[in-house]
Amino acid sequence: MWPWSRAVTRSRHSRLGLRTRVTITFALGAFTLSTALGAITYFTTRSSILHQENSALASEAYANADTLRPNLTSYTSAADTLSNIDTVSGSESFLVLDGSPIEIHFDLRQANIPTALFELATRGTPASETFRLDGVVSLAIGVPIPADNATYFEVFSLAQTARTLQIILASLVVAGLVTTIAGTVLGRWAAARALRPLRDVSEAALAIASGRLDTRLQTDDVRDLALLASSFNRMVDRLQQRIERDARFTSDVSHELRSPLTTLAASLSVLESRRDELPDRSKQALDLLAAEIRRFQRMVGDLLEISRLDAGSADFDTALVEVGSLVRNAVASTRAVVPIDISTAVASRLLLVDKRRFERIMANLIENASRYAGGATRVAVVQRDDVVRVSVEDEGPGVRAEERTRIFERFARGSVAAGSRGAGGGTGLGLALVAEHVKLHGGKVWAEGRPAGGARFVVELPLSDELSITAEHDAAGVTAGERRG
Amino acid sequence: MPSHILLVEDDERIRTSMRLALEDEGYELAEAASGEEALELAAQAAAGQPFELLIIDIMLPGMDGFACCRELRRHSAVPIIMVTARTDTHDVVAGLEAGADDYVTKPFEPKELAARIRALLRRARATDGTTASLTFGELEILPEAGVVRLAGAEVHLTRTEFLLLCELAANVGKVLSREQLLERVWSYDYFGDGRLVDVHVRRLRTKVEPDPANPRHVLTVRGLGYKLTP
Repeated sequence: MWPWSRAVTRSRHSRLGLRTRVTITFALGAFTLSTALGAITYFTTRSSILHQENSALASEAYANADTLRPNLTSYTSAADTLSNIDTVSGSESFLVLDGSPIEIHFDLRQANIPTALFELATRGTPASETFRLDGVVSLAIGVPIPADNATYFEVFSLAQTARTLQIILASLVVAGLVTTIAGTVLGRWAAARALRPLRDVSEAALAIASGRLDTRLQTDDVRDLALLASSFNRMVDRLQQRIERDARFTSDVSHELRSPLTTLAASLSVLESRRDELPDRSKQALDLLAAEIRRFQRMVGDLLEISRLDAGSADFDTALVEVGSLVRNAVASTRAVVPIDISTAVASRLLLVDKRRFERIMANLIENASRYAGGATRVAVVQRDDVVRVSVEDEGPGVRAEERTRIFERFARGSVAAGSRGAGGGTGLGLALVAEHVKLHGGKVWAEGRPAGGARFVVELPLSDELSITAEHDAAGVTAGERRG
Repeated sequence: MPSHILLVEDDERIRTSMRLALEDEGYELAEAASGEEALELAAQAAAGQPFELLIIDIMLPGMDGFACCRELRRHSAVPIIMVTARTDTHDVVAGLEAGADDYVTKPFEPKELAARIRALLRRARATDGTTASLTFGELEILPEAGVVRLAGAEVHLTRTEFLLLCELAANVGKVLSREQLLERVWSYDYFGDGRLVDVHVRRLRTKVEPDPANPRHVLTVRGLGYKLTP
């Protein structure tokens, strides 16, 4: 039973439904993918924008340095040129001439320039560095002008670029979120779609379990699942064949037994009519033979009836009948003398029943009472809301509480009766048949104890909606009474 | 004189045992092992002492019980009891449709079969009781003569169909339940099957109703039974 126990263990570990798990997987996948793509996009774009910006600004700084060079003759002309450059480029410039700084801006002094850059540039190496000037991202470029013993610094604001990058980042985050949500939705849809065949399988299995053995799955729906569907169908085919074979076997056996039983019954009656001519020992043997042949006959009859019920091929021939006459006729047909308690109000109510089946129900219950409890003492009919309860009572030893369900099973007899089985001569199918017949009528049957001792078998049948019989002339000549299942 | 009965059954053991049992009940039995043989015997007997009742098993080699019954019915109203191996509606109704008056299911008690035979024979002999001629539209019943005419033409009914029609006609306008009809037409008290009545009513309609699908005389009263209206 390894695969089974394995299935049980696995299901214990995965508390989340398959649907939820597929959805989560899709959502995580979409999130990871969109995050990774977003990050790559952002950093590539950022470095490319910054690179372009840097080289553009560097060329501008060099051009400005060239503009500045002829004007380095005096402090004043240098400062003027610096302001001109700043006005044109929108940048801030700063010059170190012969070791002394020329500062034309209050916020850009030597102290503000990153030290490393300042050192490098003043020593003659052109350099650039990104830094924050008064909280604004800026690019500082240092251009040495060795011929004039000067170093030119130009500081460009990168605020615009930073804002552009922020917008790109924001867009990528939003895109990532949208992708994740889309992934989740897609996951849910895909899971539902992928699991639909499983739902079909479980619905089909339920249908089969409830007895609709002709239920099959469609095999042409999804190609990948055709294998599952066809093997499922094959399994059900086999199951159906087996069940039908079993039912047919019971039915065939019973049918085959009918011919010899007919001969036995006829021969027996010939012998019985000459019983008085027989010696005592033969008489005794004949009586045994008679009792067993009759029981055998009943058993074959009951087996056939139950196999027909199992195969669903039994006739169900219902008609609207008054409760009173139904019960009285059924009891009368058993030829047992049992008092019937029924109020006139209930007696005139209508039941939609198969009369022959109802007669079988009553006959089996009364026979059961006479076999195991010395005979039925009372048949009571009461109405409870929209149901009628017909109970057969006896004053026998009663049925033990734990056996009250079991006695309706096939070949299960009460323990009280087990000791007297030989004398009882029951078929072991009587109450099982009662249960089947009652079920077919949409009713219930159960056994209970009587407070005064003895047992009470109650058959509960739903009352018909129609209150009284209306004499209607059925033109087609087909009536409820003539309709056959 | 004992009643002359033909038993049609292919299983020799059943045949012999049934003959022994029915002879004990006071009947004189002739045996046939097939439908063909049965028809031959019936034809031979018709000249001298015709059979008063036939017991036919449905499962026969060659011509089956239904066919045998239908063939007999072409020129005979003799009571027929079918022996079926199953109680399914199909076999029972098919047997009755073929013209059988009643059926028994294997395995049966010879006493039960004897009771049915007695009832059918008693009834067959008591046919000539009622007197007046009854007319319902184009339908004319002459109970004494055992004749039914529809628009002047004679209609051939089996004994059971005829008795059923007479019973309904005698209680014109009154609803008769299946149980009442079983009791009065078949002389059965408790062992009757309502299907006997239903099938015979249906057969009767095909013969005496101008339009069997829309019966005017033999009407069904849902849940209660049948009645005849003028």
